[in-house]
Amino acid sequence: MSEQSAAKQSRLLRGVHKTVTGLNPVLESLLAGVVGLLIGAILMYIWGFNPWQAYIALFKGAFGDSYGWASSIARGTPLVLTALTFSICLRAGMFNIGAEGQMMIGAMASVSIALFTLPSGIHTIVGLLIAASAGAIWSIVPAILKITRGVSEVISTIMFNWISRFLVIWLGVYVLVDPIRAEKTLSIPVAARFPVIVRGTDLTASVFMAVGVALIIYFVLWHTTVGYEVRAAGLNPTAARYGGIRNKRTMILAFLLGGATAGLAGAALVMGLPPSYAIFSSGMPNLTNMGFDGMAVAMVGRNHPIGILLAALFFGGLNAGGRMMQLGSNAVPLEMVRVVMGAIVLAMSIPELIRLFPAIKKSIENFAGRIRDRRERRAVKEAGE
Amino acid sequence: MTSEKLNTSTVESNAGYFLRGEKMTKVYSDGTVALKEASIEIHTHEIIGLLGENGAGKTTFTKILSGLLPPTSGRVLSPKGPVRFSSPREALDFGIGMVHQHFALVGTFTATQNVALSHERPFTRVQLARAEESLKALMEESGLHVPLDVPIEKLAVGEQQRVEILKVLSRDVDLLILDEPTSVLTPLEVDELFTLLDRLRSEGKSIILITHKLKEVQSVTDRVVVLRHGQLVGDVPTEQATTEQLAQLMVGQALDQDAGAVELSDQELPVHKERKPVDRTANSVLHVESLTSRSNTGDIAIENLSFDVFGGEIFGIAGVEGNGQTELVESLTGLRVPIQGSATINGTNILGVDPRHIYKLGVAHIPEDRWELGLVLPFTLAENAILGVHQWEEFKGPLSFLRWGKINTHVRALMDRFEIRAAGPSAPAKSLSGGNQQKLIVGRELAKDPAIIVASQPTRGLDIGAAKYIRDLLVEMRDMGRAILLVSADLDEVLALADRIAIMYEGRFMTVCSPDDLNREQIGLLMGGVEREEARV
Amino acid sequence: MNWLFLLNYSLHAMVPLTLTAVGEIVTETSGLFNIGLEGILLISAFAGALGAEAGGPIVGLLVGMGVGAAFGLLFAVINTYWKGTQMVTGIGINLFAVGFVAFGLILLGAPGFYDVSTSSELTPIRTGMGGVSPMIFVALVVPFFIHWFLKRTRAGLILKAAGEMPEAADVSGINVNKVRILAAIFGAALAGLGGAYMSIAWLGSVTKDLSAGRGFIALACVVFSGLNPLLALLGGFIFAFFQGLAETLKTMPNKIIPWQFVSMLPYIVTLLVVSGAIGRVRFPKALGVPYKRE
Repeated sequence: MSEQSAAKQSRLLRGVHKTVTGLNPVLESLLAGVVGLLIGAILMYIWGFNPWQAYIALFKGAFGDSYGWASSIARGTPLVLTALTFSICLRAGMFNIGAEGQMMIGAMASVSIALFTLPSGIHTIVGLLIAASAGAIWSIVPAILKITRGVSEVISTIMFNWISRFLVIWLGVYVLVDPIRAEKTLSIPVAARFPVIVRGTDLTASVFMAVGVALIIYFVLWHTTVGYEVRAAGLNPTAARYGGIRNKRTMILAFLLGGATAGLAGAALVMGLPPSYAIFSSGMPNLTNMGFDGMAVAMVGRNHPIGILLAALFFGGLNAGGRMMQLGSNAVPLEMVRVVMGAIVLAMSIPELIRLFPAIKKSIENFAGRIRDRRERRAVKEAGE
Repeated sequence: MTSEKLNTSTVESNAGYFLRGEKMTKVYSDGTVALKEASIEIHTHEIIGLLGENGAGKTTFTKILSGLLPPTSGRVLSPKGPVRFSSPREALDFGIGMVHQHFALVGTFTATQNVALSHERPFTRVQLARAEESLKALMEESGLHVPLDVPIEKLAVGEQQRVEILKVLSRDVDLLILDEPTSVLTPLEVDELFTLLDRLRSEGKSIILITHKLKEVQSVTDRVVVLRHGQLVGDVPTEQATTEQLAQLMVGQALDQDAGAVELSDQELPVHKERKPVDRTANSVLHVESLTSRSNTGDIAIENLSFDVFGGEIFGIAGVEGNGQTELVESLTGLRVPIQGSATINGTNILGVDPRHIYKLGVAHIPEDRWELGLVLPFTLAENAILGVHQWEEFKGPLSFLRWGKINTHVRALMDRFEIRAAGPSAPAKSLSGGNQQKLIVGRELAKDPAIIVASQPTRGLDIGAAKYIRDLLVEMRDMGRAILLVSADLDEVLALADRIAIMYEGRFMTVCSPDDLNREQIGLLMGGVEREEARV
Repeated sequence: MNWLFLLNYSLHAMVPLTLTAVGEIVTETSGLFNIGLEGILLISAFAGALGAEAGGPIVGLLVGMGVGAAFGLLFAVINTYWKGTQMVTGIGINLFAVGFVAFGLILLGAPGFYDVSTSSELTPIRTGMGGVSPMIFVALVVPFFIHWFLKRTRAGLILKAAGEMPEAADVSGINVNKVRILAAIFGAALAGLGGAYMSIAWLGSVTKDLSAGRGFIALACVVFSGLNPLLALLGGFIFAFFQGLAETLKTMPNKIIPWQFVSMLPYIVTLLVVSGAIGRVRFPKALGVPYKRE
């Protein structure tokens, strides 16, 4: 009897161990999420807040009611797109930090459709095309610089972020400025806007666009030769070359695609953001940081479109719920959300986070070993009697 | 298995022993026996030549002796103290220094800076002027001269090696180990190096010279130690050993008949062992003329190679690795552009063709490094199976959509045909064993219906069953009429499989003939650089 | 055009750029690429301000350095021993810092803007062109010191070896990971000093976008300098000059060139430099690659 249950026990523990290491990617993201929330909780506690209450408020605000869900999804929509930017390029083996700049250019480009009129649906589509193209064009120079002169795309995309920021400000102040209210640009004409789909919230149909793009990217990456080549070039350029893949062409393609999605993110933030459907030139509050947050989403989403959708929902929820968290008696400033986000990304940067807790692994092994020893000893003793 | 020694070495009485290795054995965690009960005594005032093929255990041997690798059993002793170090730096402090084949030099530093790097404790102001002076003195003493204020990366390889040696000498070592030092030197530089070694020996140092070149061993060493398949099979004073004896020891058939079954066992041999007589009437599939290519360092790697590979034969290239085999394969598979010569397949040129298109010309390549060149490890089996043929019409649909249905069918057929054991077409390639990975590559390449298959180290790292399978496969393909160019550092494999062999040494073919025309001793001599006439072939 | 104002502003704006850039030069020489400088600047500005409130300006500056060093340590440990991804860690630091500072500002009851009391500020030296912070002299001297350090000391040699060819360094008995950690701590500490300077000795306040991209400009400065601290000093001044120019133009009535384009100039120049159009830039071969002993 003792033999059997000992065997069963160790089998159980072995199964747990296998699951823990086998589910690695998803588990890592979850673990990083937990670590981030933990760090946030610690900071809140130090400052005299009640973290448990705060988190409850947070999650209630994010996913507690339909308003919360709508807000979370709305916040997550642009993040899906900028996350895709980062992920597509990462899969091609490169770091595109320029989502911020490409997104801004796309946003301003979409404002330009206020200059002419077209029938309703077409107007929207044209706006999207213009935004995507603008984003793609903005990403092509860093790509070419990398291919031809080996310029680090990290540096070049960051530079373009800043050039884009100033360019967009200039356009917003001088070119596409609203003649009535100079602090903002022209608004997107009503016919071209993404309709609000949940009344009373700022969730618009742009979410369908974002999800659609994510699904398209998924299909492209895993079900077309184009995507196949991108992934191969990113994982093993030598073998890829040997398999007939033109790595340089593939890299440029990935950058263009990434830039386009960032441009679409910008479009979503203008054509799909009530109430003003415009850009406020000083500070650009609606646009700022969407690119960088998108990178965080990409990482937590393991650079996979499906994961990105989930991660964007989560991060969007954090942002939306943060507003709730800062109300009431246990008011925690919503900036805590960004603290948590940063902590999550930090945790994500450590590979094999699970392995980093050797205590867990060791104690499982020790425990199993000790049980085995005890059973053995008892068996020996019983046999001797 | 006891190690057969021809003679125990005797040395002058004024030399003491510096290091003694007793029954050193090293078994790795996967069961490979890298070294088996090797015992050796290293004396001062002595140059030892360490001979052996690839995989004989030379690196393991020297690593254990220099204290950087703990033996599984056995020990290393020294009158100076325990020989067990945790870093090359400690070994240097003790007095053991190694000059590797791949230099550990900082490219942007000058020679002075590189040497200064390996010296005493940090956070002192580096006295570059003083370091330069003592380096200059050392250069005078040793006869090794290098420009001192040029960044290392701008120096010729021979000069770089001199800096490596100077680096080690400046630490005043007692035992100097050199790993294949002459592979990057001109004959003149080799002479200079040997003069230096001579002088160091008279100063009392011990030197181990790892090499596969028999002539070198003859010219500069006092003693020759031969390793084969992890065993120490010979330890003789140089003057008492002939090149023939050394060759025999190196490649097999020691004088003692039951010295061990080092030949391929029945489990490893392919099923159809019969050699095919070369059918001269068949067309030559691959025709190579005067092919010359440079290596990455700029030296000539292969020189004026001319040969044919016919349909229905396996043409095997044997030789110690590093003699140009890799560069030859790269030249024929689009990875390296030769500087001279021609190579055609059924009349069409294959030189300088981008690897993307090489398969269209009929060349299939089983690469020697399957992880770097053959597979995208994180990809699934199926994704790897279509690498290179993913643009084919049967796999690619409209809008460049991949027809996964067709692809998976194809992959399953491959898995059946080649007995690839895996969970399924969507198993990640890295979860496959080495043998199954190799079968996947072979299957994929064969699907391209090639005119010639270039197989480079095809059974490296595979277990016996998988290796046999691959060998069987190669013979089967030969029987179907394909041309096969086999490059392998495993001499037994080449001898078993090839219908004709060429022995490669320093970028040239020492001979091209049928394996039956040579006995092992002759092969060993040729592999060691002894010319045909002297080897009586 | 108020040239004196421009000069004064430029000199002051140069300090955080130069200090951060020089610090990052040390870090990158050893092989680590710290993209989190932006966050470190911000959070040290905040911490430094608090420290100054508690114990005076010098304490504030030291606290800033300490906070910077702590983040440098975190960054380095994650990316050496724990084999992390440097890019991701840096981005994480940036996000965290922005959130933390904004959060902290609110807790101090000062949403968005916190004024450092004059007693905690570093008293500027009165000169002909207005108040000049003593930190400017520090920023002028440090590059020379680091330049000497990298070129002439053995420690500098070790740093370079670790970044260029860690295998060679390892063989020479150098603990590559330890060297990189120390380099990162030092580099981040300098950035922390630059951050604390901003709140204590220059702008006199802390806002949640105080760093305003200076961390990235410093990275651009590093590229411009080709890892030469003296050139980083020059680059810091050039970038600061354009920042000052933009500020000046913003307030001038007749707008010849819109200030936005002037602000773009430093980034365009960097782009040109990096593309090799102006001079050749060479980075350590092992930059960004974690070291594994074979």
